[in-house]
Formats: sequence, structure tokens, C-alpha cells
Amino acid sequence: MKLQYVYILLLLPYLWACKPKAPIQEVNAGTADFSKFISIGDGHTAGYMDDGLCIEGQKNSLGYILQQQLMMVGAPAIEMPWMSDQNIGLNTNGLSRLILGYKTDCQGNSSLSPVRYSIQGETSAFSASAYNPLKKYTNFGIPGLRMIDMVSSIFGNLNFPQHNPFFARMSMDQYNFPGSGNFSSVQENIFNGGFPSFCTIYLGIEDVLPYAKSGANTNPMSPITGFPGVGFDESLGQLCEQLASQNVKAVIATIPNISQWPFFNTIPYNGLTLDAEKAASLNQIFNPIGISFVVGANPFIVSDPNAGMFGVRQALPGEKILLSVPLDSVKCNQMGSVFPFRNEFVLTLEELNEIQMRIDVFNELIRQKATTYGFAIVETDDFYQKLNTGFTYNGVAHSTRFVSGGAFSLDGIHLNPRGNALLANEFIRSINKKFNAKIPLINALNYNAILFP
Amino acid sequence: MSMKLTVANAQGFQVNFQGQKQQGMGCAGAAFVQDGSTIFYNPAGMSFAKKSEANLSITPIFGNVMFVDSSTGDVYRTENPVGTPFNAYVLQKSKNHHRLAYGLSITTPFGSTVQYEPGWIGRFAITRLSMKVFHIQPTAAFKITDNISIGAGFVFSPGNVSLQKDLPVQFNDGSYGHAEISGAAMGYGYNLGVFYNPGGVLNVGLSYRSGINMSVSDGQVQFSVPNALAGNFPDGTLSASLALPSVTTLGLHIKPNASWNVLADINYVGWNTYDTLAFDYATNTSSLVDTKSPRMYHNIFAFRGGIQYAVFAKDKVLNVRLGGGFGFSPVQSGYLTPETPDGNRAYVTSGVSYEFNKRFSLDASIYATKITRADKNLETQLNGTFTTIAWAPGIGINYNW
Repeated sequence: MKLQYVYILLLLPYLWACKPKAPIQEVNAGTADFSKFISIGDGHTAGYMDDGLCIEGQKNSLGYILQQQLMMVGAPAIEMPWMSDQNIGLNTNGLSRLILGYKTDCQGNSSLSPVRYSIQGETSAFSASAYNPLKKYTNFGIPGLRMIDMVSSIFGNLNFPQHNPFFARMSMDQYNFPGSGNFSSVQENIFNGGFPSFCTIYLGIEDVLPYAKSGANTNPMSPITGFPGVGFDESLGQLCEQLASQNVKAVIATIPNISQWPFFNTIPYNGLTLDAEKAASLNQIFNPIGISFVVGANPFIVSDPNAGMFGVRQALPGEKILLSVPLDSVKCNQMGSVFPFRNEFVLTLEELNEIQMRIDVFNELIRQKATTYGFAIVETDDFYQKLNTGFTYNGVAHSTRFVSGGAFSLDGIHLNPRGNALLANEFIRSINKKFNAKIPLINALNYNAILFP
Repeated sequence: MSMKLTVANAQGFQVNFQGQKQQGMGCAGAAFVQDGSTIFYNPAGMSFAKKSEANLSITPIFGNVMFVDSSTGDVYRTENPVGTPFNAYVLQKSKNHHRLAYGLSITTPFGSTVQYEPGWIGRFAITRLSMKVFHIQPTAAFKITDNISIGAGFVFSPGNVSLQKDLPVQFNDGSYGHAEISGAAMGYGYNLGVFYNPGGVLNVGLSYRSGINMSVSDGQVQFSVPNALAGNFPDGTLSASLALPSVTTLGLHIKPNASWNVLADINYVGWNTYDTLAFDYATNTSSLVDTKSPRMYHNIFAFRGGIQYAVFAKDKVLNVRLGGGFGFSPVQSGYLTPETPDGNRAYVTSGVSYEFNKRFSLDASIYATKITRADKNLETQLNGTFTTIAWAPGIGINYNW
């Protein structure tokens, strides 16, 4: 054998490269056109989280995260009514956002708990217009926006107490006609200066949520039927027709089962934990009306006008005690036992059923319209059900549990950045399927979950 | 916690870099005795060694792993330091009993470092794993007849391991918590062999290397977590164990003439002992519970073979070698982890030896492999394709007497 052949044999393995070569990723918009993209929705789309709106939340909103990914396939730069760089946050009560901190309760115990970031929210945001006529908003996420608010002319009208200050600060009216008394609707703002080529619609949660948050006490749910601006069906229909008439492609989301969110599930119905002494003393009070207590876990006492002559009873399995209950009163002032939880802190089985039935009707209407107009649909409840069961994403467990579940923000209602990114992926999946697009999913681990001190 | 061990030249985490000459021929060698590496490949082969000798070699491993996440298309790579397995053999033919030979080997049959780039998508499964296992094997062989020998060695297996990963709890600045588990391990095993030379051109070898249970009894775990969670993640001790597999090898060697040698090995590797990776923390909390991660390895076959050609130049000999192999992956679908991004593997090797004089010779070899494996891990849901390219050029010196 000649030596040169030997050398060739010895060098054979070198035909390999040293490092694996990255594949070329195929990315395209399919039949969709994202060049004039907007997202329409409520606080989820806007980035409301931790019970406030701040710039960090906006940059981690469902609308922002989704659009950022869609910029790979031609979506424009993101324009939102930015909050200040102070990042303090603001809600309609003038409060700042929540963070995790230490709170000393009535018994003197300090523990990790949601606390306000600052004594006051960045209230100046509500007294100045964020509108810029040179920039068109690509994100029409407005905290508190209901389906039936889309064509309302008082929604941004500062003269009405029920106006929405988050909308007022972004509406073109505030800039163009301060004090002029001219007030345009959300829809007019959206379509001002031309129709989008593609939009996402995630509305309907706010048509039921305020009612649920009030313990089915105030803030009635939107009516099912009625003219645009009154009933859910025609408000939805009018919006869809507007879009379809201009050949706007869209993805529309259904309403999840809100009662599984941490706001409604963090305090168990039987969270009244008693020692022998307390159980005995409560038995003295309640035994005469047929309620008895045991050592350990007991159902809370709730007021219910239909419950016998005293109007109190024990909470039932499945009933919800809301996160809005004053926990210090529970711990130190016998709220939920001697003093029953008032209606505003409880969702009864009947009320839960009423809310779910309304959501089901709204969702059926949304699905019908999506089918009629060829919109992609996102069944958000599928996502929330997975969360409710608990799932692992790239080695990280997520669930609906408050704080430790890692997907909800500290208000127990809105998703945190991680949750928004996971939900944005459901929108992308739906868009990819409907419009034959190839848009990569988002690495949700790049988004914060809960920050600890 | 999940831990597993990886090396470039391995099915699962079994390494076969033993003896530069054998490495040049596809890492086969149960029936071909050329130097002290037969202590590893087949202890019985020592009796058929022509000379007493000592061998020392080192094989730096340059391994690069790329992970392409299936849903995002994002690409992540490892930043592995160079692995440096070495082996040392001393083979002594008994002066008083010509049928007897004994020897000692010190080798690193398991060991490597896998380090993924910062922020990679699987960081909560693993960020860095480093493992070293040393095998110290005193061995003896005895020729029962002129044609058959038997050999046996006892294996002391000290080692150490360090596993790091990020924890999905975040500091106020958004950075993630981190955990490091480290500890020294110890295990014991044995290595048995039968070597048969019926006369003529053929040799047959059969060897059995026992499984070894590497047990970490006093491991340490250290956490870096936000203050608020410090009580949930107490630093402390833990125990764990790792089952290294048994390997049964049947080898054939044919020497049709003075220039050519052809050999082949079949391995049966008893991976199914590695079904779970468990960590038992001395202190448990609601956040820190003992873990049992399924691994579910199954037994596999691997095939290795090579040829050697002797070029005679004047009174010197140059041996050149070419080899390769194929091994099935012990990792079942659904259980692929980034610690051992294993797949069915084909590799090629080549090598060369040169005798400077009667006493000294020098060996060199090179090994190359590329492995591609796509999977979705059932436990972590990590879903994507791992591609590994590994190079291992080795060099060794030999001295005989």
C-alpha cells in the first residue's frame, strides 16, 4: 500500500465540521398581512398586571409580546400609550402596582405578601394626554374595556364619572379638542386614519369580570342582546362586520372560565382553621342555629339571605371566597366566623353558574362570528384549563396557584409577563394554523414570572 | 433535580477511550492484544501479551452540542471545556510462571463536562454537569492451556460529580436562582474475561465488566435564591446513586498475514439498571422535596471494528489503522435529557503507531462522531433536536521490557 493512501485514510474523519451547523429557519406570514397590525383588548392586551398599569407591564403585555414576534413577519413597530419610566404603576383607584414585600399582620407576624410599590400611583398619567398624532397606536388594549364599550361615546368622556381614564388618556380627542366636548369611541380611534390589515381581538372578560369580582353584588354583566353599545351580540357583530367589510384579517379569542383564577381560589371555602378552644366558643354561638365546628378546617360562615331566619350558613364546597376579603379582619376580628362574609366577598354556586352560563353564551357568539368572517380563533379556556391542571414548560412548572404558580400577577386576575408570553403562543398557533403562516413560538422563559425580595 | 452524565465517546455515558491502538480501530479489542489496554478490554488477554509493558495515553475530547428548540427555532450551544480522559496500564508477565500475567490500570472510563451557554432554554434542567470517574483495576490472568486463558480484575471506582442548574425562582432584578449539587462517589466492580486462540489466524475474546453502583453518600447542595425563599431552599447534604452499566463483549480478531489485522467487537450493555435518578435531600421543605426523575434506559448492542495495516520500512514498523462503530442509544423516546443528548451513534476512527526502537513506541489516534436526536422529554417538556459533533485526537507512549 502506498503511503499517500494511508494518509488519506488517516484524514477521513476530518471530513466532519467542528461545530454543528444551525439550520435555516423558515419564517413567513402565510396568507396574512401584518403590515398594519393592531391588537384590541382589555387589560391583558394593555399589560395591566399586579393591579396597575406601568411601562414594564405594557412591555410585557399580551399585545406587545405577540406583536414583537409578529415583527418577524412584517408587523410594524409597537406604539402604545406609554406610562412613565418611573414604573410606579396606576390603577383607577389611584394606587400603584403591587409587588411582593413583607407585611405585618394584625397579630404582629411579618410575612411575604403583595404590597403596594408606592404610597400613590403615578396619577399624573390620568391628567395628561398620551396621544401623539404622528404615531398610530398599534395596541388598543384598554384596561376595563368591555365588548359593549367599543362604540360608546362616553367611554372617554371625562365629564362622565363612568368614563375610562385609561382610554381618555390615549384618545385622540384629549389631544385634538381638549375641553371641546367632542368625544369619539374606541372604535373611531382605532379606525381613525385607516383600517388595519390584521387585528387581534380579545374582549369579553370585562363584560363579566367586574360582576364576579364584586361577589355578584354590583357591576352587572353585559346583556347578551341589544344594539351595539348595549348588547354583547350586536356589539360584537358590528365590530366584526366593520373589519370584514374592509377585508381585515383577524384572530379573535374566547373568554376563559374566570372563576378558576387565583383571585377566586386562593382562600379555600373551608379555610377557617380552629383549635379546640375557638371551635368550642364558636359552637356556643352557632350550635343553636344548627351549625357546628370541629378542630381543624371548617367552612367559613357566609351571609346568605336565603339561609334560614338568621341569613347565615357555612360556605359550600365549590363556593369561592374572594381575594378581596380583609385578611386581618379574618385573623383578628372573627370575620368569616362570628361575623359572616358579606355577599361582596363570596361567589355562591348559583352565582358561579350564572357567570359561567353568560360566558358560554358570549363564547358561542364569538365562535359564530369567527366562523362567519373567517377569523382565526383562540380558545383561551383551553390554555387556562391546562394552567389549572398544571403543566411543565421547559422544566418549569406553571399553574393557576397564586404566586407559586408563576403565571398570574399579584392581582390574581391578570397574567404576569410569563403567562402573557405563554398565552401569546396560543395566538401564534392559531394564526399559523388559520393563515398557513410559519411564525415561531416565543420562549416564554425569557419573560419574568414572580419577582421575590 | 435531574442528573446524568455524558461524554463524547459514549452510549449513554459509557466511554471507550482505552488504549490508543484500539481507539484507532473503532475502540474494539476484546480479542486483539497489542498492549496493556487489554486489562480493560479483556483481562484474559494479558496472558497472550508478548511483552511486559507500560502504556500511558491521553485523549482530549472536543465536544460541541447544539440544541434547536422545536417551537421557537432558537439555537443554543454548549461551551464545553476540553475533556481529558487518560489511561495508564502496566502489564507484567510473570517471570516465574509463564502462564501468569498481572497488571494494573488507572483509567477514566466515565467523565466529561457539559456546559450550556448562559440563558439557554433548558437551563432549569441543567446548566453544567461535570463528572469524573476513575477506575483502578488490579488484574491477573492465567493461561489454562496454551490456547485458553482466563482473567479477572477488581475495580475500585472513586469519582466526583457536580451538577448545576437554574431554579425557576427570580430575584427582584429578574435573574434566576441557581442550585449546585456536588459530591464524591465510590463504587466497586469487577472485570472478567476469557481469551481463546485456537491456533492460526483467529482469536476470540469474551469479557464481562460488571455494573457499578456509584453512590454519593455525603453530597452537598448549595442554593442561590432570593432572601424571601432562603428558608425554602436550605443548603445541606444529600445522597444519590448512579448505576453504571455492565458490558458484555464478544470479540473476534483475524490476522490473515503479517501485514493485516482485522477485528470486531459486539457489546451488550446493561443499561436497564439506570431507570431512575433519585436525589434524597437531608432536609426537605415544601419547595425542596426528594426527586425521582425517570431515565428508563434500556439495554443496547454496540458494534465496533477496525483494521490495522503494517508498513515495514527498513527495520522499523509503521502501523496504520482505521475503524468505526455503531451503537444504539439506551435512551428511549420521551426520555432524552440535555445532560446526555444521546442518540444512535456512528463514528469513525483512525490511528497510527511508530516504533522508535525495541523499547519505545508512540501511538496516535483520532475519533470523530456526529449524533442527531430529536425528542420531547416527558418530564421537562424540553422539545427539540440535539446535534453533537465530537472529536477526540489521542496520543500515547509505550515502553516495554
